[in-house]
Amino acid sequence: MGFLDAVLIVVSIYAAVVLIRVVIGPTIWDRLLGFNMISSKIIMSIVILSVVTDRSFLLDIALVYSFLGFIGTVLIARFVETRGEI
Amino acid sequence: MIIDFISKVFIVLALIFMFFGVYGIFRFRDFYSRVLISSKVETVGFLTIMAGIMLKTGFGYSTLKILFICLMVIVTNPLSTHAVARSALKSGYKISEENNDD
Repeated sequence: MGFLDAVLIVVSIYAAVVLIRVVIGPTIWDRLLGFNMISSKIIMSIVILSVVTDRSFLLDIALVYSFLGFIGTVLIARFVETRGEI
Repeated sequence: MIIDFISKVFIVLALIFMFFGVYGIFRFRDFYSRVLISSKVETVGFLTIMAGIMLKTGFGYSTLKILFICLMVIVTNPLSTHAVARSALKSGYKISEENNDD
């Protein structure tokens, strides 16, 4: 149980706690905010995992995932704002 | 040896930042203060953890990749939060709708 494993566990606990806000979020935008936070927590855990298991190709996955998370969030935000026609 | 210790300090500091970010999500009543606090603290926590990890992995290509991820998040995280807040504002989300009692 290295130090980074404990950090990994704490980050996933944070993601689970933010998930509660995504579930009970009164408005769509709370859920979108929760989604944004969880995706950045996932990127953190991917990077920590790549350092712990010493596999450097995981970092490319984290980079691509941050692109997709960003595009997904912006697209959903615009979809909600313009009520359907982007 | 000292660099290892400094990277640990950075990572613990980032975890404290992220705790405030998560606490900020539940603490505030209406959406706007929630999005303001949590996105800002989220980005700072992310960068601090990445700084700690970069210190830990030393010079090399993986550190360069982590640096790219940091640059990526510096640009995209505020942008996506801005898009969310803008869509909330544009589609007429009023603060008075929520019962902000405090």
